[in-house]
Amino acid sequence: MFDVVAANFDPITCRAQFPIFANHPDLVYLDNAATTQKPRMVLDAERYYYEHQNANVHRGAHRLAVAATDAFEEARATIANFINAQSADEIIFTRGTTEAINLIANTYGQNLQAGDEIIVSTLEHHANIVPWQMLAQRSGAQIRQLHLTAAGEVDLNQLEELLLNNKAKLLAISHASNAIGSIQNIKKICDLSHKYYCHVLVDGAQAIAHLQVDVQDLDCDFYVFSAHKAYGPTGIGAAFIRAAILEDLPPWQGGGEMIDRVSFSGTTYAPAPQRLEAGTPAISQAVGFAAAVNWLSQQDRSAIWAYESALHQQLEHGLRQIEQVNIHGQAKSKVSLSSMTFNGAHHYDVAQFLDERGIAVRTGHHCAQPLIHQLGLTGTLRVSLALYNTTDDVQRFLSALSETLEILR
Amino acid sequence: MTTVTTDNRFDHPFGCEIDLEQLTELLDASASWESKNRLLVQLSKQLPDWQSHFKIPTLKVAGCESQVWLDVKPSDSGWRLAADSDSRIVKGLLALVLCAFNQKNNQEIDAFDFEDWLNQRGMQRFLSASRGNGLRAITQEIKRKTQP
Repeated sequence: MFDVVAANFDPITCRAQFPIFANHPDLVYLDNAATTQKPRMVLDAERYYYEHQNANVHRGAHRLAVAATDAFEEARATIANFINAQSADEIIFTRGTTEAINLIANTYGQNLQAGDEIIVSTLEHHANIVPWQMLAQRSGAQIRQLHLTAAGEVDLNQLEELLLNNKAKLLAISHASNAIGSIQNIKKICDLSHKYYCHVLVDGAQAIAHLQVDVQDLDCDFYVFSAHKAYGPTGIGAAFIRAAILEDLPPWQGGGEMIDRVSFSGTTYAPAPQRLEAGTPAISQAVGFAAAVNWLSQQDRSAIWAYESALHQQLEHGLRQIEQVNIHGQAKSKVSLSSMTFNGAHHYDVAQFLDERGIAVRTGHHCAQPLIHQLGLTGTLRVSLALYNTTDDVQRFLSALSETLEILR
Repeated sequence: MTTVTTDNRFDHPFGCEIDLEQLTELLDASASWESKNRLLVQLSKQLPDWQSHFKIPTLKVAGCESQVWLDVKPSDSGWRLAADSDSRIVKGLLALVLCAFNQKNNQEIDAFDFEDWLNQRGMQRFLSASRGNGLRAITQEIKRKTQP
């Protein structure tokens, strides 16, 4: 039996703050690694912004423009504070994790040349592979693959071997895997990489909703994440870039907001972060993003971690009771997601039957094809839990799964 | 070691013993989505599993969430079609596709609007953006392969 109770956290009160569950009372939403649902506070914050403050930012000739600019820059400070960046200027707003990685590949990446190396782990989502391949093509740098142990963690011995020649300028690694949930020891990885003067970019997309992230403690150079996977709006994310690196980064998109002075004889650029944020930004989304992290900060994060871990244990324990289930990814530390395949049933078919019972799960390669291929699979069914999921959700999933596997037998 | 190379891929009832009218009745009688899915699983069991050596890249249809293989060959009575998938539900959908196109000639294949037929059965969700692209790719591939 599992005692899925955490002091200082009540999932039922928490769940009541998410309007989607009032509109879909029977929904069992287990696709949180793809996107989370949004609490009312986030929806209200965006609405309040449009109803009270809407104007363009950084052009403050009137009171609304000042209010909008203040709201936008306060959001930046909130995000900085949330991940313990030293200064709000270290936060660049982007459309999401993918754009944040592309931004870094297109700016920091301009320093790379033939002979340099970029280390990319097998765990990575396509967004943390493809921009580096594109950079390698442009610069002549070489991609080195960092392999996984059988449990699904990166191989630190191999990492050191890759670093020994001092050619690696950047290591791209996810804090938590979207496909199998493994959490990497980022602090240790950063220590090791910095010994060889290799910068570290951490893809925090799957970690940010579950772990308390402190970029100064992790000592990473870049940390990127999306709002929508942490109870915030879609279409916005952030790149933390360490100040010392940020100062020298060239612009990557030209337009309004990022300039100092423009003339046909030449243009000079604004300092960062504005230099890297051309055009009108996603202002209301930034406000919603800040509301989401404020909401999350008001919760007892360690109690949430304890609750999600207990729920995840209940899930994996239940899965192990069903003979046909294979769970992929056995890392010692995992975020609350499980990736699985079934003997005698295709994951896609299982998901279709679950959907008929209002249970939302993900199937496919999860945009992490190298990892899925290394596991010898074509795809998996992924169940990913969030703080508003309950033991009842897990139980309903497990029962529906058993019945579905019977039908498909 | 000898490899068995019998080709039973084309030995299925869809488009010959089972025609589209019969399937239309069966689908229309399945009220809930679960019963529609169950029907697709049942139909899939009447479609032979391809031996692995037939599952070659040139017979694979791109754009499906699960894996799909499709082969066509001409005969006196029209084009003969065979298909397989690693997903039972997709294989059931393939049975519907075969019912519509197997043993038909070029003109009949070109003229039949499979999506419209599926829509009339209330099966739009199999044509939705994430799921439908695969099914659309299969019907397009059939039309492409059977045109002169």
